[in-house]
Amino acid sequence: MWTRSKGKKEKDTHAYGGLAPNGIYGTIDQDLHTNIEKVRDITGNSADIIIRRFLLGKDDNFPAALCFVSGMVDEHIVQQLLLEISVQLSLPSSSCGLDYIEQKIATTNTARRIQQWHDIFSSLMSGEVILFIDGMLEAIGVSVKGGEYRAITEPSTQLSIRGPREGFTESLATNVAMVRRRIQNPHVWVEAITLGEVTQTNVRIMYIKGIANDKIVEEVRSRLRRICIDGVLESGYIEQLIEDESFTTFPTVYHTERPDSVAANLLEGRIAIFVEGTPFVLIVPTVFIQFFQAVEDYYARFDIATALRFLRMLVFFISLVAPSVYIALTTFHQEMIPTSLVIAIAAQREAVPFPAFIEALLMEVTFEILREAGVRLPRAVGQAVSIVGALVIGQAAVEAGFVSSAMVIVVSITAIASFATPSFAIAISARLIRFALMVLAALFGFYGILIGVILMTIHLCSLRSFGVPYMAPLAPLILENIGDTFIRFPLWGLKERPHLIMNTDTVRQKDGQRPKPPQRAEKEGDSN
Amino acid sequence: MSTFQIVNPGNVAGATQRGGGSAGLPVALYTSTGDTLVEASRKASKQISRIPYYSHTNLVVIGEELAKEGIQQIFDAVERNPQFRPAANIIIARKQTAKQLSSVLTPIDKIPANQIIKTLQFTKGLLGENVDTRIREIIENFSLDGKEVVISSFRIAGDWQKGAEQDNVRTIEPSARLRAAELAVFKNGKLVGWMKNEEARGVLWVLNKVKQTNVNIDWGESKEGLSYKVMRAQAKVKAKLKDGNPIISVVIKTEGDISETFISMDFTDPKQIIELEKKIQQEIKKEVRKAVHAAQKKKSDIFGFGEVVHRTYPEEWKEMKKTWHNKYFPEAELHVKVDSFIRRTGLRTRSYIQ
Repeated sequence: MWTRSKGKKEKDTHAYGGLAPNGIYGTIDQDLHTNIEKVRDITGNSADIIIRRFLLGKDDNFPAALCFVSGMVDEHIVQQLLLEISVQLSLPSSSCGLDYIEQKIATTNTARRIQQWHDIFSSLMSGEVILFIDGMLEAIGVSVKGGEYRAITEPSTQLSIRGPREGFTESLATNVAMVRRRIQNPHVWVEAITLGEVTQTNVRIMYIKGIANDKIVEEVRSRLRRICIDGVLESGYIEQLIEDESFTTFPTVYHTERPDSVAANLLEGRIAIFVEGTPFVLIVPTVFIQFFQAVEDYYARFDIATALRFLRMLVFFISLVAPSVYIALTTFHQEMIPTSLVIAIAAQREAVPFPAFIEALLMEVTFEILREAGVRLPRAVGQAVSIVGALVIGQAAVEAGFVSSAMVIVVSITAIASFATPSFAIAISARLIRFALMVLAALFGFYGILIGVILMTIHLCSLRSFGVPYMAPLAPLILENIGDTFIRFPLWGLKERPHLIMNTDTVRQKDGQRPKPPQRAEKEGDSN
Repeated sequence: MSTFQIVNPGNVAGATQRGGGSAGLPVALYTSTGDTLVEASRKASKQISRIPYYSHTNLVVIGEELAKEGIQQIFDAVERNPQFRPAANIIIARKQTAKQLSSVLTPIDKIPANQIIKTLQFTKGLLGENVDTRIREIIENFSLDGKEVVISSFRIAGDWQKGAEQDNVRTIEPSARLRAAELAVFKNGKLVGWMKNEEARGVLWVLNKVKQTNVNIDWGESKEGLSYKVMRAQAKVKAKLKDGNPIISVVIKTEGDISETFISMDFTDPKQIIELEKKIQQEIKKEVRKAVHAAQKKKSDIFGFGEVVHRTYPEEWKEMKKTWHNKYFPEAELHVKVDSFIRRTGLRTRSYIQ
C-alpha cells in the first residue's frame, strides 16, 4: 500500500502537504485579533486549544493572548507564567519590547521568538505556550511541556532478577534522560528528527560519538529521512520501514524496554532510536545472537550466564522442532523410539483417528488460539480462558480421543520452550517456522526437518542488519568477539567491542583486568 | 514355519487404560508358513491387520529342530532387511518348538519376549552361565573360520499347555515358566550339543564374558564351604605353535570378595587368604578345562582359539584352517593360568560361626 502511494508522491511532492504544519504558509500579523482568528480557523476552534486574552503593560495598553493545548502543558507553570508576565510588565521600568519579555520570562527554560505560522503551529502542538502581543510581528514560544505520563515502572516484557527495575515510559524526554543518566558523557549524541507527516512524531537517534560507526549512523539517518508516511504511532512503524529485509520471520531490528540494555548497546557501538509515545526503543544494527542475550547475563557471573545461554539456544531449538520431531518419529522413524516407549505411544495413538501431522496441527493451532485469546483478554476473563484451555488441551482432548497424551506433552513442552525464549520477537519467528517444519516432517520425516533447518540457516546467513551480517560474529567468524555469543567469557575476557559494528576504538578495557588475590608484602617489597 | 509374537500395545501395562479395558492379552501369536522367511512374513499379512514392523524385533527364537538342521540360511533375510536390528537377541527353544516357547505368558514382564531378554541379560551378568548372543555376533561368526557359535537356550518349566492362557499370569506360581537353560553349541551352523552349569561358565570365562558370579570352594572338611564373589574378571587367550601343533594358553584374572562362609577362619591372616586364592584358582581352572574338553570332544571351537592362531600365525593358518576344527582343535594343548585376587572379605572379617 505504502509503496504504491510513495510512487504517487514522486509526482506530487506534497502528498500530505495540506495536513503537515509546514504546509501552513505565512508569517503572523500585527493585529492580535487576526492572529487569534487564524489559530481558531486552522485548529477548527478545537475545544482543547485554550486562548487566554489579557492586557499587558503599565497602562494595560497592550492586548495579548496566551495560546496552548490543554493537557500537554504544565498548567501550574502556565499560571505562573501569566502572573510573571503581568507583574513584570506592570513595573515602572518595564517596556513591552519583545526582547525585554523574552529575557524576563525566566520561569521556563526556553523561550524563543517565532514568526512563521508553521513554526507556531508545530510549537503549539508539541506543547508549547505561544504568547501573541498586539502590534508585534513575532510571537514568543515558551516551552512548558507537561501533562500526565505513565510513571516509570518495571518493564513488563524484559524482567530481570538482578538489575535495574525501571523501564522506559511513553515520554520521549524521560526515556532519553534515563539512558543519559547511565552514560554521563558528552559524547553521547542525540539527534532529533520528526517523522510522520500528520502525526509529527518526535524521534531521537542516540549514539556515542567515537564508538558508533559513522557510516552506520549516516545510514540510520538516511533511512529515517526516507520515511514518508502519515503517521508513526509506535517504534514498530519505523522498524518495518528501515529494516533490511521485510520478507523474513527473523527480526533484524532489536527492540527493548530497558534503559540498561540500551546503554549497553550504545557502548557496543550500536545506535538507539527513540520514538515519542512508546516504551520500546529500537537498536540497530542487530545480530541474531542478541536475541539470546539478556542483560542479566552481564550482571551474573560468567559461568551461570554461559549455562543460561546454552539453555536458551536449546529452548529456541525445542520450540522450533519439537512438534515436527514428534511427527517425524511417529510417522517415519518408529525404530528410533525405545521399544517400551513406542508401545506406550502406539497404545495412545490406537484410539486417535488422525495421522500424527493432523493431530499435531490440531493441538498447535488450539494452543495458538488460546495464547492469542489470553494475550488480549481483560485479566478477569483471561483466567477463565486459561482454565478452559487447560481442561480442553490437557484432559478433555485426550479423553475424547482427539489427540494422544504424548502429543499434549509435546505441545506443552513447545509452548513452555517458546515462553522461555528471552526475546518475544525471536519466539514469534520460531512459532511460524515451526509450522513449516511440521509440514516438512509430515512429508519427509527427519530428512525434511533437516532440509528445513538447513534452509533456515542459509536464510539466516543471508540476512543483514544495516550492513552487518546477521549471524556475526559466528558467520563470518570473528574470533575476538566469539566470547560473547553462545558462551560468555568472564567480563575481563570481553576485551573488544563487536568488530563489524564499529570500525574505530574496538578495545573496551585494559589488559589484566582479571582479579587476583593480593600479592604477599615481602614479594612486592612493600612495607605495608 | 515362522511365528510372530506381536505386541498389542493397548493391553500392555503402563499404556493408558483406554479402549476396552485391560482384559486382553498383551501379545498375540500368529503363525504362517513359507519356503523362505520373507515369504512367511508376507503370508502372515493374511492374518494380521497391521504391517509387521521389524525395527523393534528384539528376540529371535529358533526351535531345537531347526537348530539341528542348521541355522545358517535364515540370517540372510534378517541382515538384508533395513528394519531388522542386528542387536536383536537370539535364543534356542530347548526341547520345545519356538512356537511353544513363544506362547507362554509371563507375569512380571507382560511381553514374554522382554521377559526372556531381561532374564538372559541379568543371569549373564550375575551368574555367568548364559550368553546373550546377538544376531550380529552370529553373522560375524559365520564368516570366521576359527570360531563357532554358542547360543543360550530357554525352556518351559512346568506345563507348557497352560502357559498360553491368561490364568498363567493370575497365579502366584505360574504353571508354565520360561527359564534359561543350557548353552547350545554349534558347528558349521548346526546344533551339535549342549553345555550347562560349570561347563557353561567355563565357556564364558574363556570368552571373557563373565561379569559377576560366585565360585564355591571346598575348605577342609566342609564341601563348598566358602563362596567367592567375582566382581571383575578378565581373560586373555594366546596361541603358540610347537611343531605345527597349537598350544593355547588362557590367562584369567579375577577380583572379588568373600561373600559367604560356613567355616571358621581368620581372614586377617594373609597366608590364609593366599591359600584361599589358590583354591579359587584351581576351581576356576577346573571349570575352564572341563569346558574346553567338552568343546574339543564336540570338535567345535566355540572359544575362537582358531582366530587367535589366525591372528598370531597368519601364514600357517592358511594351511590349518581347513582342518582346524576336526584335527587341530581337538588335539590342542591347553594351558590355563588363573590369577584370583580377594579384594575384601565383605563387611565381616571373622564369622560368628566357630
